[in-house]
Amino acid sequence: MEAGTLSNPALRARRNLTDRIGDPLLRGLSGLAAALAVVVIVGIIYEVIHLAWPAIQEFGLGFVTTNDWNPVAKRFGAAPFLYGTVVTSFIALLFAAPLSIAISLYLTELAPRRIMRPVATLVDMLAAIPTVILGLWGILVLGPFMRDTIEPALHSVLGFLPIFDGDPSAFGYLTAALILTIMVTPIITSVTREVFETVPGDLKEASYALGATRWEMVRQVVLPYSRPGIVGATILGLGRAIGEAIAVAQVIGGANLINASLFHTGGTLAAQIASQFQNSAGLQKASLAYLGLILLVFAVVVNVVARVIVQRGQIGDADAEDLDIAAPATRAQPV
Amino acid sequence: MSKRFLSALVAALALAVALAACGSSSSSSSSEASGGGSEATSPLVGAGSTLVAPLMSKWQSDFSSKAEITVTYGAIGSGGGIEQITSRTVDFGASDAPLTEEQFEEANSQGEVEEIPWALSGTVPAYNVKGAPANLKLSGEVLAGIYLGEITSWDDPAIAKLNPGAQLPSTKITPVYRSDGSGDTYAFTNYLSSVSPEFESTVGTSTQVKFPTGVGAEKNDGVAAAIGQTDGAIGYVGLAYAASSELSVPLIENSAGEFPEPGVKSVEAAAAAVTKIGPNNEISLAELPASAKGAYPISTYTYVIVPLETEKATEMKKFIQYAITEGQSYGPDLDFAPLPKQVVAAAEKAIAKIGG
Repeated sequence: MEAGTLSNPALRARRNLTDRIGDPLLRGLSGLAAALAVVVIVGIIYEVIHLAWPAIQEFGLGFVTTNDWNPVAKRFGAAPFLYGTVVTSFIALLFAAPLSIAISLYLTELAPRRIMRPVATLVDMLAAIPTVILGLWGILVLGPFMRDTIEPALHSVLGFLPIFDGDPSAFGYLTAALILTIMVTPIITSVTREVFETVPGDLKEASYALGATRWEMVRQVVLPYSRPGIVGATILGLGRAIGEAIAVAQVIGGANLINASLFHTGGTLAAQIASQFQNSAGLQKASLAYLGLILLVFAVVVNVVARVIVQRGQIGDADAEDLDIAAPATRAQPV
Repeated sequence: MSKRFLSALVAALALAVALAACGSSSSSSSSEASGGGSEATSPLVGAGSTLVAPLMSKWQSDFSSKAEITVTYGAIGSGGGIEQITSRTVDFGASDAPLTEEQFEEANSQGEVEEIPWALSGTVPAYNVKGAPANLKLSGEVLAGIYLGEITSWDDPAIAKLNPGAQLPSTKITPVYRSDGSGDTYAFTNYLSSVSPEFESTVGTSTQVKFPTGVGAEKNDGVAAAIGQTDGAIGYVGLAYAASSELSVPLIENSAGEFPEPGVKSVEAAAAAVTKIGPNNEISLAELPASAKGAYPISTYTYVIVPLETEKATEMKKFIQYAITEGQSYGPDLDFAPLPKQVVAAAEKAIAKIGG
């Protein structure tokens, strides 16, 4: 039929025209879109460096290790906020990653269908809570609960550790870390759930056929098969935790120094920028932009590390040694 | 080859678009500032202080109906206002803190600017202590001691001395401060610096300072929430915010040895007592004379910053003249005190300089 229509010379001419214009047009438009993305990224990096330049000239690399932020004396440093970002994100992942994996396992392997749907939707909806609302909840509910219940308990049992020393406070690293935990859990959960769903049924059945219990099947098949995905999901959550500004600014207490105690007030890179950028000028504004630059570099490093881990995971995953059961047979089957 | 050519073309095109976008954004704002003839009234654009924003919105609607000049205002914070007027992207900036010498230098590099006080308000401490009486009496020295971390419990002898006979719990004091930049922080630290040399040397006066102790919270409502949720907390908020919230407010001792209630009346009394106006029209109400009866000690002016050379001189003069006279009538409802006569006179002198 195609050949029939093309035998018409007029149609053929038109076809030639679209041939000549269509492909280059497609290439041009999509190329433009791709170039736009590059231009935006380069533009942002340029603008941040440009804005931060006075602070870079003034403080140099020492900015990163300076443990001070004093707008009156014009002494600025990133150390308190770098520390706060690392500590809160790390604690958030420490809680959120196992929690998310457990939720996903329950939803994909254990939950009956009529429970799975609503629970999965609710977990996803957790991600839709505006961060300001979560921050308010942190101030009004979580903070006082931490101060009156959790922190005194931690202090009485583990008070000999410097991180659990000091007076309980509603505002501080630990409260911020828990708010972040709530924020990243739905992200990690939704990704790991999808990864767990891609584990081939025949692998699981093979495991059961060999006499594995459900726990053994999960441990020997689902988890190893999904490892790169789990790592990727965790890194995605880490990205979110590092960059979150508003809710953290509401509950971390805006202190300008490193404090060993997790109960103490502190600051993070993103929260500091969010709370001070609007009302700052001169060297302070430049220093805030410098914090932004550090945050940008931090995010890029995390991303690169994640890519490396995921790639390595995939290579490791490719050989069946990772799966304890006799996988090669199932692997050989066409997917 | 054509592929390479095409991709180069695409890249060049994208760059051109980006450059055009950058160029147009800067040129549009400058044309906005310089455009408009002297016959037709051109709209005024301003940015800055959030403290003055509620008053400004009254002024905007009233002034545009009376003078047929529209005023656009962005409440982006005092620092932002100073920066925007320094780069002349707006017609006027508004700041709760008078410009520092350095800021003046920078702003003057593109032609001289004038700083004019145009609104008057106060900053009010607030506390939440279970078992303590309402309207506790405090002094500037005690407040400074609390924010320096030297007075740490509510039954401290310094507080007990000011409140003879009052039952004071031994609750730990948690000072709460603004973690974002704020005119209230400026007024508060300016006051504490004037009563305590130690506070001045270790913390200083600014819209953002480094407090040695305490908890930082965002905006007035964040501070109020932090105070409300913490037994033993004390913080500070804007006068208007304190009036509309249900926070317990301490009475602060003034130079006359009285404990006036914070409000428009006592702020007005403070402003009336200070006649010293600085070379840039800056007025500090932190050091009140002992003769100032009923004066509230943490009162503060907020300023407008305008370039002397502007194409919109006529409109600008009209608007500021309106703000410091007629516009003041909206103040009391919004917890702003009216400007005293001598300040209006100084402001009028400054207005006369606009436009050469």
